[in-house]
Amino acid sequence: MRIYNFLCKKVGELTVKYSNLPESYIKRSYEQVYWKNPKGYPQYRDVQVARRKFRFTTNRPWTMQFARQNERSKQNKKVFLEPVGEWSFFKGDRVEVMVGRDKGKQGIVSQVIQERNWVIVEGMNTHLRVVGKEKDFPGITIQSEAPLLVTTGVKLVDPETLKPTEVEWRYTEEGDKVRVSLSSSRIIPIPKAAEETVDYKSKELYVENPTKDTVAAAATKITFEPKLRTFEMDIMESMGIKEDRVPAKSYWY
Amino acid sequence: MNFSLFRNVLKNVAAITYKSNNTFNVRGVTQVTKNIHITCKHYDLMEFFDEKKNWNETNIRVGRAWKLDELRIKSNTDLHKLWYVLLKERNMLYTMEHECNEKVRLFPNPERIDKVQESMDNIETVIKERNIAYYKLETGETGERPVEDVVNLLGLSEKYQKQEYHLPKFMNSRWVRSYFEHGYINSFAVKKFYRLYREKLHNEERKARNRDFNHVQQLLKRFPDMDMEKLKAEYPNVDIEKAKRSKKARGHFMPKY
Repeated sequence: MRIYNFLCKKVGELTVKYSNLPESYIKRSYEQVYWKNPKGYPQYRDVQVARRKFRFTTNRPWTMQFARQNERSKQNKKVFLEPVGEWSFFKGDRVEVMVGRDKGKQGIVSQVIQERNWVIVEGMNTHLRVVGKEKDFPGITIQSEAPLLVTTGVKLVDPETLKPTEVEWRYTEEGDKVRVSLSSSRIIPIPKAAEETVDYKSKELYVENPTKDTVAAAATKITFEPKLRTFEMDIMESMGIKEDRVPAKSYWY
Repeated sequence: MNFSLFRNVLKNVAAITYKSNNTFNVRGVTQVTKNIHITCKHYDLMEFFDEKKNWNETNIRVGRAWKLDELRIKSNTDLHKLWYVLLKERNMLYTMEHECNEKVRLFPNPERIDKVQESMDNIETVIKERNIAYYKLETGETGERPVEDVVNLLGLSEKYQKQEYHLPKFMNSRWVRSYFEHGYINSFAVKKFYRLYREKLHNEERKARNRDFNHVQQLLKRFPDMDMEKLKAEYPNVDIEKAKRSKKARGHFMPKY
């Protein structure tokens, strides 16, 4: 289990944030455990047989397509990732494409795939794809974006000079962590689109489910009062339960 | 002493709450009903299922789990009520999942189970925090089940969770003494096992070291202009200068120097 956890690559932080799903669910939706030793028996070690190498692509880990791409029989070549340090590309960022056909053009990041150091830039680095081709139908040609590597493929745009620039994470005097462009020392703010998830565009725009969700006002209401009681004592008192019996002496060993 | 008191109290709470909810104690019940919103009262087995209008839904969107900080501002009674709301919801979700599997249908939004479970875990954490604070203030101990570091039969260190007994240790003839006292720990078999175990751990460590070194070599081959500081930060145990000099790190290109 220890080696498994060490070798198994984790899903990126931004992917978890974008999915708006609990991390435990993402893990259980993509992992493939073929055999697990029963728990609670001294004769069985805590080990399992599971797939360790996953191919992360534009398909998100909790989807069906991901599962199909990582079927048990499929073995892929290892992908080498250049270390990027702290991640500094977010959805909605203005970037300049540094390679390929669209070299020198600027666009907006529409998707971030942290597991592969990729970003997808809207309308840049595209190719044509034929969809729905049959015997008597020629299919529809659509333009689809290919991902770009954040290390070499794109650079963030300086808000002052509108030129591509390197960035660095620094702290402001208020203690906020910000991205600073190295060419003009201007702060590059993190765009509003970065907090977009599969469920909502921004946190304020989330529509509550009236039957399932707790309303925000009820969730943020402070009802705690400090008392010199344990949880159990407090509940017993509020329910009018009286307990005067003294338990027999016992020993812990 | 305190632990046993605590345990007995717990036991009695469970018994008495059950009684009071089901039979008399009208005053208590009315107090409760004033504060809780209850959408519908069925009290039959259909409470294990979702509402009927959700049966054919493909997407039931719900919010996120309760966070620790949101639970810390809630009173004990609120946490107690919320626990049972979540427990009912979890039972409902498990039932619906089972029923969907039986009927070969897709269970909508299975992540709801994880959200409910996370909320319940967080409630437990908050309650534990409060109880530990009380016991530390009153008795100087945490009030949790005591844990001891022991050496087990195989010579490995282990956390032993102590148990509660009516009899003191020296009178309890049925209680099996720890292996340490039996003297197995210095036996030839245990020593041999421990030697082999250490060898295994060492091999794992060595393999991890080699794996990292080879990986860095390959990275250097593929990305010769890479930021070396970031590489060093990600693989702190690898000698990067040594990796650069190796044959594997030289790609199919002329060196720049």
